[in-house]
Amino acid sequence: MSIWGALAGGFVGTLVLTTALRTANEFGLTRVDLPFLLGTAVTRDRARAKALGYLMHLAAGEVFALVYYAIFAAIATSGWLLGMLFGLLHGVVAATALVSILLPVVHPRMGSTLSAADRSPLLEPPGFLMRNYGRGTPIATLLAHIAYGAIVGGFASIAD
Amino acid sequence: MSSLSGATQRLRSASASERPARGYVSIGDYAAIGDGRTVALVARDGSVDWLCLPDLDSPSVFAAVLDADRGGRFALQPETPAQVQRRYLPDTNVLETTFTTAQGVVKVTDAMALPSSDLGPTRELIRRIDGLSGRVPMRWRITPAFGYGAVLPCIERRGRIPVVFAGPDALAVCSWEAGEPQIDEEAIFGRFEARASSSALIALCAAHQEPLVFPPREHVEARLEATTTYWRTWAAHRRYHGPWRDAVIRSALALKLLFHAPSGAIAAAATASLPEQIGGERNWDYRFCWVRDSAFTLEALLHLGCPGEAEAFFWWLLHASQLTHPRLQVLYRLDGGEHAPERTLELNGYRGSRPVRVGNDAAGQTQLDIYGDLLQTALIYTEGGGRLDRETGRRLAGIADLVCRIWRQPDSGIWEVRSRPLQFTHSKMMCWVALDRALRLRDGGHVPSGHASTWQRERLAIREFIETRCWSQRLGSYTRHAGGEELDASLLLGVLLGYESPDPGRLTATVHALRRGLGRGPLLSRYSGEDGLRGAEGAFLRCSFWLADALARIGRLQEAIELMEQLVALANDVGLYAEELDPHTSELLGNLPQGLVHLALINAAVSIAEAGGE
Repeated sequence: MSIWGALAGGFVGTLVLTTALRTANEFGLTRVDLPFLLGTAVTRDRARAKALGYLMHLAAGEVFALVYYAIFAAIATSGWLLGMLFGLLHGVVAATALVSILLPVVHPRMGSTLSAADRSPLLEPPGFLMRNYGRGTPIATLLAHIAYGAIVGGFASIAD
Repeated sequence: MSSLSGATQRLRSASASERPARGYVSIGDYAAIGDGRTVALVARDGSVDWLCLPDLDSPSVFAAVLDADRGGRFALQPETPAQVQRRYLPDTNVLETTFTTAQGVVKVTDAMALPSSDLGPTRELIRRIDGLSGRVPMRWRITPAFGYGAVLPCIERRGRIPVVFAGPDALAVCSWEAGEPQIDEEAIFGRFEARASSSALIALCAAHQEPLVFPPREHVEARLEATTTYWRTWAAHRRYHGPWRDAVIRSALALKLLFHAPSGAIAAAATASLPEQIGGERNWDYRFCWVRDSAFTLEALLHLGCPGEAEAFFWWLLHASQLTHPRLQVLYRLDGGEHAPERTLELNGYRGSRPVRVGNDAAGQTQLDIYGDLLQTALIYTEGGGRLDRETGRRLAGIADLVCRIWRQPDSGIWEVRSRPLQFTHSKMMCWVALDRALRLRDGGHVPSGHASTWQRERLAIREFIETRCWSQRLGSYTRHAGGEELDASLLLGVLLGYESPDPGRLTATVHALRRGLGRGPLLSRYSGEDGLRGAEGAFLRCSFWLADALARIGRLQEAIELMEQLVALANDVGLYAEELDPHTSELLGNLPQGLVHLALINAAVSIAEAGGE
């Protein structure tokens, strides 16, 4: 098991995850756009937001790959199947907590249940399971994260 | 000669109560607003009846102009009968409609907002309602119908903001002082009272493949102001100072609406399937860029002092046509794509004019004239100071070689007839223009000279063909096609684009014969003879402007000026033209606003000015 394998898997997996969601976007299944959501947290400029968001998303992908690696190391086993399981769990957490609850709280341009009169939210909040962005969002997100997990797990084990 | 004083501010009155013709207003009752990516049509009664999102050639969310029942619209009007006056704010594409009722006066300002440095929606339609006097009860109702009315939307709320979504598209309706927005299964609506000095605001915020943005009021107000300022600044930088300046600047602004900023292409018109005959089948989608229009487009852009748009358009054209090199396609999509499959929609059509088509099968036709248009465009570009790289020069030479091989073939001609291909005279003239321009580009060192002797030989052969087989002694005119005895207004382009007959008197005689044979007052039909379609059509306004242009060029300046005066007066109340005009009712017909008509107006005005018609 190698940390470099996990990092490479994190990079490739994030590209695949982003591409998968973009494809789901093209097919009209969802309007979720993670780079846009992340980038608008730091800038109001649309084009810059998308570019920065991509970089932030890639960085987040590497951080999660390190978390996967830490768990793989702790239980002394890895592989694409185990990665898929982690990806499923990761997807569920992302859809129910990370993006649905945490992002609106920390995002300066998104409303949340904590918003009061002093806030003027600009961005549509994701809602439960991010379903505000389309009914197909939960399933698209889950599948994309499962693919991410499989790739991280696979890369980590290939480097054994 | 007087210019059309205040064309952009000319006001007419009309009743805004109920719509007479089964829910439709006249095509001439529409004004266009846009943001360089899409265009909305706003009716005199305050209803937005056409809007495609996110781009002009995307499926519609409002298409009541094509189906009053199922098309979708954004209605906004007083609850009581009103007289309507409207205008564009001077030198802008921001529309101002004033409703005068028994209870008071209210003013609606409509614009498609341009992006700002603030985080804003992907596309944004802004409607500001200012009370001027009294207390006017107002109502608004948004019935979105995505996918040309084929996709059922879901309507929900995010907090107090109503949102509509369907697949990758979503709308948010942000409103301030416009009454509490209500929702039901098919609409978002509200009522409020516009009092003197009150100002309500409704922003229709669109998203495509991304989360919605809900802007605060101050951002929306700022974008409306910035948009108005942008248009004024843009118009102020146009350098035309000849006659009919108001009409020319309005035409420039209309063209700017059709300019697709993401690519540089210019759409032929903003709409699809507005009929050439009420109830007829001549209903086409014009949300594409036609190679045929390219020379006129570039010429007009350079006349107006739009070097940025001219550069973008020229290189977009070369990039798009690279896909099919050396053959050219009749039209390309606004993103440069070559596929534009035609299909029929399940909509009733404007006042029952069916079928309603989107896409355009003319893309697959053979039209020989477009090669002349492209090479003429390249020549105009180089004469305007543009430079062609070696690869582009080789491609243009390859196109000239192709013309040498194919000019003898029959084609569908500039009018895209759906009857059998013929040896159209205009197509042959444009093949002559293609080779002539290739030789001139060679002379300027812009294209390689390897096959120049072939180009010269074939140019001569084309002229011999035209002079021996396309001239009618009986008509005293060139004919519509070889061996025929019919007239065709496109032959005016022989004058405009500089076809050189060995007997220049023939071109002059043709101009007069066309006016006699196809003219009715200031109007001109396209041609005599059949075209493979049922029904009649109106008079093509571009042909009338071509005639004015041609008259100026052959020295009939006074006739050109008189004709131009009449034509400028035929625009609708805000200075826009559709493709055609019904000679019996003077009603505008066909797609609106029609780019080629506005291009022809600009070029005719310039020709008259250059001929001394100041």
